[in-house]
Amino acid sequence: MRKFVTPLTVLLVPLALGLRPSPVGAQTLSGEEIMKRSSLAEFYPGDDMKARVLMRLITKDGGERIREMTMLRKNLQEGGDQRYFIYFHRPADVREMTFLIWKSPRKDDDRWLFIPALKLVKRIAANDKRSSFVGSDFSYEDVSGRDVEEDSHKLLREEKVDGKDAFVIESVPKDPASADFGKKLSWIDKVSFIPLKEEYYDRRGDLSRVFSADEVKQVQGLWTITKRTMKNVQTGHRTEVTFQEVKYNLKLSDALFTERYLKNPPPEAVR
Amino acid sequence: MKKEGTEVSRLTELSVRYPKAVILLTFLITIGFAIQFPKVRIDTDPKNMLPATSDVRVYNDQVEGWFGLHKDMMVLGIANEKGVLNQTTLERIARITEEILKLKGVVLRDVASFTTVDNVVVEGGALAVHPLMTQVPKTPEEMEALRSSLFENPLFLDRFISRDGTTTAIYIPLEEGANGKEIADRIQEILKREKGEEQYSLAGDPVARDTFGAEMFIQMGLFAPIAGMIMFIALFLMFRNLALAATMMVVAMLSTVWSMGALIGLGYPVHIMSSMIPVFLMAIATDSIHIFNEFYFRFKEVGEKRAAILDTIRVVGPPVRYTALATAIGFGVLALGGIIPVRVFGLFVAFGTLVIRLMSFSVLPAVMMLLKEERLMKLVGREDLERGASRWLGMIGKISLERSKTVVAIGLVLLTLALVGITKIRINNNMVNWFKRGSEIRQADAVMNQKLGGTSLAYLVASSEEEDAMKRPAVLRYLEALQRDLEKASFVGKTTSVVDVVKRINRVLHDDDPRFETIPDAQDVIGQYLFLFASSAKPRDLDTLVDYPFQKANIWVQLKTWDAVGMREVLDRIRVYTAAHPPPGVTFKPAGIAYFNLVWNDEVLRDMVRMFIIALILVFLVLAASFRSLRWGAISFIPLLFTILLIYGVVGFIGKDFDMPISVLSTLSLGMAVDFAIHFIRRFHQRLAVDSDVKEALLWTAARPGKGIMRNAVLFAIAFSVMVFASLTPYIVVGLFIVSLMLVSALLTIISLTALINLFHPFLLKKG
Repeated sequence: MRKFVTPLTVLLVPLALGLRPSPVGAQTLSGEEIMKRSSLAEFYPGDDMKARVLMRLITKDGGERIREMTMLRKNLQEGGDQRYFIYFHRPADVREMTFLIWKSPRKDDDRWLFIPALKLVKRIAANDKRSSFVGSDFSYEDVSGRDVEEDSHKLLREEKVDGKDAFVIESVPKDPASADFGKKLSWIDKVSFIPLKEEYYDRRGDLSRVFSADEVKQVQGLWTITKRTMKNVQTGHRTEVTFQEVKYNLKLSDALFTERYLKNPPPEAVR
Repeated sequence: MKKEGTEVSRLTELSVRYPKAVILLTFLITIGFAIQFPKVRIDTDPKNMLPATSDVRVYNDQVEGWFGLHKDMMVLGIANEKGVLNQTTLERIARITEEILKLKGVVLRDVASFTTVDNVVVEGGALAVHPLMTQVPKTPEEMEALRSSLFENPLFLDRFISRDGTTTAIYIPLEEGANGKEIADRIQEILKREKGEEQYSLAGDPVARDTFGAEMFIQMGLFAPIAGMIMFIALFLMFRNLALAATMMVVAMLSTVWSMGALIGLGYPVHIMSSMIPVFLMAIATDSIHIFNEFYFRFKEVGEKRAAILDTIRVVGPPVRYTALATAIGFGVLALGGIIPVRVFGLFVAFGTLVIRLMSFSVLPAVMMLLKEERLMKLVGREDLERGASRWLGMIGKISLERSKTVVAIGLVLLTLALVGITKIRINNNMVNWFKRGSEIRQADAVMNQKLGGTSLAYLVASSEEEDAMKRPAVLRYLEALQRDLEKASFVGKTTSVVDVVKRINRVLHDDDPRFETIPDAQDVIGQYLFLFASSAKPRDLDTLVDYPFQKANIWVQLKTWDAVGMREVLDRIRVYTAAHPPPGVTFKPAGIAYFNLVWNDEVLRDMVRMFIIALILVFLVLAASFRSLRWGAISFIPLLFTILLIYGVVGFIGKDFDMPISVLSTLSLGMAVDFAIHFIRRFHQRLAVDSDVKEALLWTAARPGKGIMRNAVLFAIAFSVMVFASLTPYIVVGLFIVSLMLVSALLTIISLTALINLFHPFLLKKG
């Protein structure tokens, strides 16, 4: 991880300031370098972050389930370990449920769940990052990022997405068993390095899921996807996610991301 | 009527004058219909028996939408007498699953097998969700762990493992429109590479349905022509003239080509029902034998071809026309029913009947014109009332005359017996039983039903007015009690609902303590369990059991039989249980393939029976009109009614289920028994005009037109006896019943009409 942190930080500074990188510089990037920068831009902005996340799980026929939560994130290391603390507001019967994730790119996550009805903290063995995140079309991996080195990346072409210049990258898992997809195409914004669109193909080669960043804006100078959709084109099910009240660099303490706080979340985690 | 008569005779005159032109024209029109054939579409999905807008289909589609269910599911059973929990078999299961996941048309995200189904367990105090088998167990401890997770989880027992441990299954949902037979064939190829101790059986509705479709095509293409060939040979033996025999065959074939061509050309798919059209038309075409029969007698008397033809058409014409009318109306009525395949079937059989009649008055005379007189002279020498069949029939006539009362008495006894038999009829349908007992499909189904929960699936949807109702402890307890009650039904092998999930989570969260395999007492606990399950496992695992607002729950009811009566028993149980135990604010409604099979079976049969009764009434009116007498109409109606009642009586006595093939078949009696009666009575009247002695006229009728009738029947019986060798039971049943139907109705016509007319002629002939 460490080996690319330094050059990347150098690259990210102008980005964070909203400066356009020179196109010549961009063209010399390889597929893998683009994906590394994209991973940092999407999953690691700021030292920490807080957001009110609203997820709408929508069936093909328009049936809807709501997941509303406050999400806290803290980077321990840029491009490396992260901690997530999630407090559920809705659905009503899971209010006060809390969820703690210690994410590590190279090994299984550690997850703990507080079940208020039983007043019980339960450790969740998380040996599958591909499983669904709270029943949505996003997997844990989609929410917290997949290790860039698990796939081999190829820059296919450059094209515009909604008027924005983008790199088109093809990613193929090095170990087919490590992913649900057989192939992924990503359209990476040349300016923000945020993925504007992603297409996941199943192992048979059929399109299975489509991600789109529907609203991308700068918050405290950091590019942030505030509205996104993941659609399962095979089932017609989709999940729409809105990030509200996004704040970066709150100087969240490490202690907050411990089992102790699951039962009694601090006010800043709840609001 | 008169106008029609003159038209037909003008047609015949034209055909006699320009035989070659008529034949050429017919040939050209036939080509026009034949070129439609490549457009043929086969539809064996029983769903299409009812229109897409029918209540049951609309509700089924809704249920599939609410719970994200797949229309079609195949089940691959894997059995090993020594138990499937050994390394070799498990490795095979893993490999087979992996290969199945590569097949097009398979919904790979929902294929359920040891290696894909999620299991919720406790591991070292942590809640873990992962496939039941991530790796094939290598040590005895690992194997034991797999065994206990299978046997201790009610969600898996009877579904992924049989109680004796010898059988497991892979559940393979299919994408909409995928061909079950093709996928089944590809799975069979995968299995060929996995030969060993294991036995494989592939079952499920799509396999049966699409295999049936493929078989149907073969049977249609094989047995209709074979029956045709046999008829051809029999005809040749009867008339000793190749051209005549060929013509009759050609008439049957042409009418088939015309009506099937029209059906296909108009864009209708060929359904199991319409696949029987050729058989029916061949049966109806044999009526033309009366024309030949009479022609041979006439030609012998007149000695001149042209006059013999015109004379023949003059005397045989009216009965042939009326039989055609009665048959066409009989089948035409089916076209007014509510079931689309029945309507299509009725319509095109009626159309084919009219085509046959048109040809009887055009192509047949044209061909006869082209025959050489000298050759005919030699052949008809054999045609004599004193010889062979005619003499034999004359004797039957004589007995019927002399012992008319006995004949009627025996008839009444048979009728009473038939009515008793009819009360024993069991209405049922079972698509798997459309295959022979030894067939792979039926065996596969039997094996799976013996070992696992059952291959036939029904859904019982519980609905409430309010959201989150399916999290209420009272509701879940009710569902659980209902499940236990349903499991007492003789064919129910397994039921699954959200209750089983809640109980499982409760146990797992309490460190896998079996005492906690219960429904919690508080709604928020249940709500959090379900949230947890939906958040950790594949969300779809829960979606198939509850809808999004938790307003509806889906109880899966697996039946060990495809019999419609099995589902009826389930429905009865639900009715009784909910009446005795009022549900807590929920209502229940059935859906799923097992329920659908019951509904379409009932609707099709009800429609068939209703239309059949209307057809009978109309045919009676046609008969009465044809004789311009209600009394004669009634007399001529008796053989038809009698034949039908006898057949139904026999069906009741031998315990054969009254199903779709049988109901289709009974309509054939419209086409046959009526023909015989009309010919008999018409010709009797004609004879009576010449010879006023009733007894003499009856004897003549029994011998001469009677020979035509018997020839017709025997011809057909011989030809269709080959269908007994078909590989699909509906065709066997049709073959068997056609044979008995023809012989019974021909004999009945001759015997009963002779006896009845003899007894009642003072009354019948009173008016003149």
